[in-house]
Amino acid sequence: MPGHDRDARGALVIASLLTVLALLALASLHLGLRHYAPWQVFDAVFGDGQGADALIIRTLRLPRTVNALIVGAALAVSGLLMQSATRNPLAAPGVLGVNAGAALAVVLGLAAFGIASLSALAGLAALGAVGATALVFGIALSAGSSFSPVHVLLAGVTVAALLASFTQIVLVTDESTMESLLFWLAGGFADRPLMLLAIAAPFIGIAFLAVIPMTRALDALMTDDASAQALGVPVVRIRLTALGLAAILAGLSVSVAGPVVFIGLIAPHIARRLGVRGHAQMVPAAALVGATLAVAADIAARYVVSPGEAPVGAVLALIGVPVLVVLLRSRRMALQRR
Amino acid sequence: MNGTKADPGRRAFIRPGIIAALVVLLCLLLLLAIGIGSSWLSPERVLRALLGDGERMDQVIVHTLRLPRALLAAEAGVCLALAGALLQRATRNPLASPSVVGVVDGAAVGVVLFLWLFSNEANALTVSIDFQPVAAAIGAVVFAAIVGLLTWLDDGGPMRLIIYGVAIAALASAIVTLLIILGPVYRASQALIWLAGSVHQAHWDDVVTLAGLLAMSLPLLVLVPRVMDQFLLDDDTAAATGLAVGVMRALLLLIAVYLTASAVSFVGGIAFVGLIAPHVARLILGQTAGPYLVGSALIGAIIVLASDIVARVILAPLELPTGAVTALVGAPYFLFILVRRGRSHA
Repeated sequence: MPGHDRDARGALVIASLLTVLALLALASLHLGLRHYAPWQVFDAVFGDGQGADALIIRTLRLPRTVNALIVGAALAVSGLLMQSATRNPLAAPGVLGVNAGAALAVVLGLAAFGIASLSALAGLAALGAVGATALVFGIALSAGSSFSPVHVLLAGVTVAALLASFTQIVLVTDESTMESLLFWLAGGFADRPLMLLAIAAPFIGIAFLAVIPMTRALDALMTDDASAQALGVPVVRIRLTALGLAAILAGLSVSVAGPVVFIGLIAPHIARRLGVRGHAQMVPAAALVGATLAVAADIAARYVVSPGEAPVGAVLALIGVPVLVVLLRSRRMALQRR
Repeated sequence: MNGTKADPGRRAFIRPGIIAALVVLLCLLLLLAIGIGSSWLSPERVLRALLGDGERMDQVIVHTLRLPRALLAAEAGVCLALAGALLQRATRNPLASPSVVGVVDGAAVGVVLFLWLFSNEANALTVSIDFQPVAAAIGAVVFAAIVGLLTWLDDGGPMRLIIYGVAIAALASAIVTLLIILGPVYRASQALIWLAGSVHQAHWDDVVTLAGLLAMSLPLLVLVPRVMDQFLLDDDTAAATGLAVGVMRALLLLIAVYLTASAVSFVGGIAFVGLIAPHVARLILGQTAGPYLVGSALIGAIIVLASDIVARVILAPLELPTGAVTALVGAPYFLFILVRRGRSHA
């Protein structure tokens, strides 16, 4: 396909994704345990609607929708960066022990040091996430270039198991921590204090902006290291920057929404399947797909165990695992690089 | 696979000695496991209680509390280690282990579903708790079958088994999370304790049942060593020696799933034992299937028993889940193998 055709197609995909996302976000304000009419929502959001309904929409529905939008986009871009930087189609924050690291950091902070302030816990979660990512990629890099995507995945799963057993040990020693953290540990967009998002959102925005000048270099990196080098791309620097940004984005997401899995893994693949090529368009497309997935999963979470509220992480796993299996079957990903 | 550097003659000479040493170690650990607890019993008192002429109190403690727990831990270790040995040999993949092929999480789905379906409004179970292992076994077999089917349809080699195992395990644990929320809160904590892997609620019934399940697999286990030695060759050569590769691989995998399901249904998710035990056995006993299996079984029992002792002692009077302790040892070891393998392929 000639270049401009491809760009046009990408633009079309992005425009349609935007439309779908806008519709879903609107639906997210209307749907739930109580269904609202459009005029009620409009009144609550833009007008000065009073009463319980307006309160629910303004303080519950609207925040969770915004949470889902931003966190979904951040996770998707994080996954895309990890996949591109490591040329590993299976890399993603959720699979690489990020969530387990965040959970351990939060549990430790709460149980061992008695930290109770939300913003401090959010910071801890972000730190734990970045630490776990560094650990997994450190292990992968120390094993050398023959480390296949599957090996990285296995290393991530194992590090996650290790960190989870630490978390378990802390929780055993302090049962009250467990009760207050059980829902956070499951991940979700509802009932998260908006203050967290207010802290995290600017950083997420900065990280997005930082990705934009890297898109051409990331395109070059997708070929192989030698060709990228020949094109004048500082391979090591770009790779480390991309991984660092990915870890930060994942960490910020975890601190807002708790562990939310599979968006980072599947959103980039879905964007690619829609025919988007090149990172200049992949970044916005993946972000939109991620946000769409997050909002959709958040809506679904209100219904699957109705009248209760399901953890979004579990809902996403129900969608994500079949997608992962399809990916594994269709792409025939190289298991051992030779 | 570089565990067999010593020359075969010397190895054959040393082997019985190593196995005897393992047996002695296991017996010592059993004595220790029975002795340690809220009241310490010296090995002499343990032995006398076991032989039936100790003090009345000692006998009660040993026979109703500590002995069943120690035995259940040892049996679970044997099952998981044997399952790991069979899996690793059949898939020729040193990273294979019962917990990565979806069996453990599948069993968890079975248990949580069981607790949810058979609870009434008062949170009481409407059927006997004795059926919980059955539910676990069904869950384990179903999810192992899904993983097996995907791998078989894909036909992409041993690594595929693991990757599908990881994916399906994620699905299973999501289902568990949803079911725990759907189910009564009171049951949730019970399910979580079971999931973490623990032998602290051991009863003689469990010990006897698991021993029976293990005994039922013995006739098959006695027959497999020859097949397992053939699996040391590559598929084509193995076929040339008269091995029905596909059928035998399926058979070994089935025995492995059976053993894992048996163990997991009683003790929950005690991770990484099935991974480490066969590795250690291969390092000290070599590749020949007979001693390799016996060694794996003994080492598995030793690992779980030792982990349970650590789990009870380290934060006493609190008890850690045994599975957390095995993971603390097992996960770093797994990463070590992974990195070393990555390097040696470079």
